[in-house]
Amino acid sequence: MPDLDVLVVGAGPAGSVAAAEAKRAAPELDVLLIERDPIVGAPVRCAEGVGDPGLREFIDPDGAPWASRRITRVIILAPDDTEVKVAWPDIAWILDRTRFDAVLAEQAAAAGAAVRTATEAVSMERTADGRWAVRLRSPGGDETVRAKVVIGADGVETMVGRWAGLDTRVPARDMESCAQYVLDGIDFDPDAIYLQFGDDIAPGGYAWLFPKSERAANVGLGIVALRSDGRNAREYLDDWIARRYPSGAKTGRTVGGVIVHHTARQTHTDGVMICGDAAHMVNPLSGGGIVNAMKSGRLAGRTAAAAICAGDTSAARLAGYHQAWMELLGDAHLKYYRIKQALEDLDDGFFNGLARTVNGIPPHKRTLGRVFAHALVRHPQLIPVAARFFV
Amino acid sequence: MAPPSLARTRPAEVAVVDLAVCDRCGLCLPLCPPEAIHLGFQDLLVDRQTCTGCRKCVAPCPVGALAMVPNA
Repeated sequence: MPDLDVLVVGAGPAGSVAAAEAKRAAPELDVLLIERDPIVGAPVRCAEGVGDPGLREFIDPDGAPWASRRITRVIILAPDDTEVKVAWPDIAWILDRTRFDAVLAEQAAAAGAAVRTATEAVSMERTADGRWAVRLRSPGGDETVRAKVVIGADGVETMVGRWAGLDTRVPARDMESCAQYVLDGIDFDPDAIYLQFGDDIAPGGYAWLFPKSERAANVGLGIVALRSDGRNAREYLDDWIARRYPSGAKTGRTVGGVIVHHTARQTHTDGVMICGDAAHMVNPLSGGGIVNAMKSGRLAGRTAAAAICAGDTSAARLAGYHQAWMELLGDAHLKYYRIKQALEDLDDGFFNGLARTVNGIPPHKRTLGRVFAHALVRHPQLIPVAARFFV
Repeated sequence: MAPPSLARTRPAEVAVVDLAVCDRCGLCLPLCPPEAIHLGFQDLLVDRQTCTGCRKCVAPCPVGALAMVPNA
């Protein structure tokens, strides 16, 4: 049975960064990164939007072939189609996730991690000596490897978390059911992202347009199924596109779940850490998770390396990972989660009214902070929301 | 995972997945209280012995690949 120090399951942003960081922290360790799909980065299950500052902590987007568009504006559409342009505090990027994920996996390989695609973990159990025996399946057949630490970066469905006995279930109200097309041949501002809210458009979530080029964009939406009128996510999306972009050619399609919950209560146990989507490390207000995944992968990789070098991979030792994540972003996500819960009670009339109020602010002063301040003045029922956020 | 229980009455209906429609996105796994749904590279499976018939996986499927059937 081959022996490993670290096995990372899933070569998305969390897994590739975890593998690279473990190897950089302790180059003598044997680190294996496995990916179920034959190609890293495909299929894409993502709207591909990411903020500039977080991204830049890991990799430089300027001129990169994996950066599809540089975004400088956000256009919010109220349920009644009232358009509000908001000054964006930072630049954002729309990625080409297939290329982006491949580059991150190449960086893990360059750091010295072994990377194997078309390799799936199919079961996992603890050995008598405190390691994990993981059954791997690939076209060449099955084999079992033994690892001191397993990092589960295996997405919303995280089988690693389940095998390790971690509770990664979420309530239905905190699951966004998402559908998306790549639409070609449509008109939009290619420097802006568009977001539209509305109970008939995307109940419990929002619809989006994220430009991929001057004429093509990721066009999708997320809904909370408990609030649906009976349509599924793809049916809501087909209806939205038929109304707003009827001439668009659907050149790609995807679906997926975005967990808009708080961080899982337990993200580690003896010899196991889970990160990224697997551990519910998604901003519950925006649904954004790429940078969060990379940040948690960085923490998990470094924690794994230090634990192995110290000869202690127990849950008590790995608790430092959970604690570091909560301090970095987990506690903030809990605040955002409470805001999300408060916003769930607001209806289309509120958003339509707010859009008109905000359009009364001069465009150059229309920052998110001012939008929020105006919302509080004109809609005092939001004050408890603000109080919960800032307290 | 829910322990196998002889006392549990068999649900009248259980969830099934239409693999011709399913995109294997994995969204339904964390929604399943008894963790009866399993995802592999090739397919998605609902374990009939573990499914409690709660329907929590059905409406959230973005493409409508899950449905309830009589528990024959």
